[in-house]
Amino acid sequence: MSTNPGHEGALPHDEHGGHEDAGMKRFFFGHVPEGVHGGLKQYGWLAIFLGIITLVEFLIIVPEGLQGSSVVIAPLVILSVIKFFCVVAFFMHLKFEHPLLWQIFVAGLILGLVVALSLVVLFGVLRPTPRAFSENRQEPFVHHAAEEEHHFEALVIPTPCPVGACPQPAAPGAAVASSPGQALFVGAAACSSCHTISGVAQGVLGPPLDGIGSASANRIPGYSAEEYILESILEPDAYAAGTADGLSQDYDGNLMLSTMAGVLPSLSDEDIEALVEYLLSLQ
Amino acid sequence: MAHVDTTHAPPAHEPSAHPPEHEEETTTGINHRKLLMWVFLGSDCLFFGSLIATYMVYRGQSVVGPYPKDIIDVPITTISTFVLLMSSFAMVMGVAAARNGNQKRLVQWLIATIILGAIFIGFQVYEFNLFRIEGLRYETNLFSSTFFTLTGFHGAHVTLGLFWLLCLTIIAMRNPAGRPSGLDVDIAGLYWHFVDIVWIVIFTLLYLIGGFDAGPEVEHAAVQGWQWITATIM
Ligand code: HEC
Repeated sequence: MSTNPGHEGALPHDEHGGHEDAGMKRFFFGHVPEGVHGGLKQYGWLAIFLGIITLVEFLIIVPEGLQGSSVVIAPLVILSVIKFFCVVAFFMHLKFEHPLLWQIFVAGLILGLVVALSLVVLFGVLRPTPRAFSENRQEPFVHHAAEEEHHFEALVIPTPCPVGACPQPAAPGAAVASSPGQALFVGAAACSSCHTISGVAQGVLGPPLDGIGSASANRIPGYSAEEYILESILEPDAYAAGTADGLSQDYDGNLMLSTMAGVLPSLSDEDIEALVEYLLSLQ
Repeated sequence: MAHVDTTHAPPAHEPSAHPPEHEEETTTGINHRKLLMWVFLGSDCLFFGSLIATYMVYRGQSVVGPYPKDIIDVPITTISTFVLLMSSFAMVMGVAAARNGNQKRLVQWLIATIILGAIFIGFQVYEFNLFRIEGLRYETNLFSSTFFTLTGFHGAHVTLGLFWLLCLTIIAMRNPAGRPSGLDVDIAGLYWHFVDIVWIVIFTLLYLIGGFDAGPEVEHAAVQGWQWITATIM
């Protein structure tokens, strides 16, 4: 193992006195054979040095103007890196060990840093969300909505849905749309992920829309069916359909609102018209 | 320490009287136990790396208080950081004593390490409890969840180390004749110092730098850094 087994503690330490200064210098900066250890003197000085660094770190952030400011980040990081490597090199005596141990530890350290950095960049800076993911991929699919809709649907993940309540993907047979409004409904507008229309879509988060064309005329007094559907799409939170309307449960208008916030901007006026027209046709 | 039976002990000042460890032939020339410890420590870097990253990602993102600036006590934690650092010093002295076959010193330094480590844990228990009383629970906000997860796992590491050192101390007090071996103490020491360096990082990032963070209006440090990098490169 070491080239000089049995010579542990070859450097002078407290009990021996003697060439301490030479020993100190060699211990910290010079080339020292494997397996050597320091004593009270060497480690004591190092401990004092590390203690002073800690104190300096603290003093740096004592002035209130510097607390939390970004100018202190660099000095603080540098100081703690110095502390870190002093402990590793001397307290963990990696300086006096076989180089393989350095390599193993530094490899782990670098891997850890890379993992940490990637996590921070991914989730702290780029912050992908399922919705952003589908939004970014909307454009190419809008053009071929009629042919591509079922591929597209697989990419749309509207809101995390409770277990068991997740929308079922529409049967492949249902994918052939009968009107532009229906194509949008199951395709780019992603309505089908929450709403059920027999034979077209099987979402469960929103009320079923079978027969909405006639039901919508009676939802809000004074609203025509068209006005009601339009408002339901543009401002889903304005009126929340629920048990009072003969539905099986009270629905949360905010749910649709928050999801539509990501989709609405990409829909043209014609798209909305097509949707309304399609829903009106569901008698 | 007082119970050490010196009649069976090797003369304390003769390092070579008792080979500190049995040299075994290995293909790498490194003792396997030591090698394994370093491999474990290397992998533990990944463990703490991801916990620290999680904290940094959610830094300044909590929408309800208490925020770090309301609750983090930097002066107190500076003291506990210093205490942990000094325990590392006591530990390395213990390793040196074990290497020199000085059983009495070994026991003394081990006990000193344990006391300092226990004080550190005491500070952490005090801090966690204070946070709880001030209304910062694990599930309160993003800050509390990531903070407690990271520092909690670190505290668990320290606690485990305390048990380990306690075992070594008991063995050393019972068997004055060269057990635990220098290598035994050395390996425990490596673990102990590692816990110390992890705390060095945590102290800097969570206390000195992040200890004054507030709610979401704070510009995200990672975003700042990223903008700085892209601005410099492009
Ligand atoms: C995140 C799930 C979700 C998506 C996606 C969604 N909705 Fe809704 N929708 C709801 C919920 C929940 C309600 C009930 C609350 C309300 O009436 O505002 C609702 C209500 C409605 C209503 C009124 C129903 C009634 O019985 O009064 C209509 C019409 C409607 N949505 C159409 C659409 C259209 C068109 C789309 C696609 C552009 C769409 N929704 C996308 C969840 C969704």
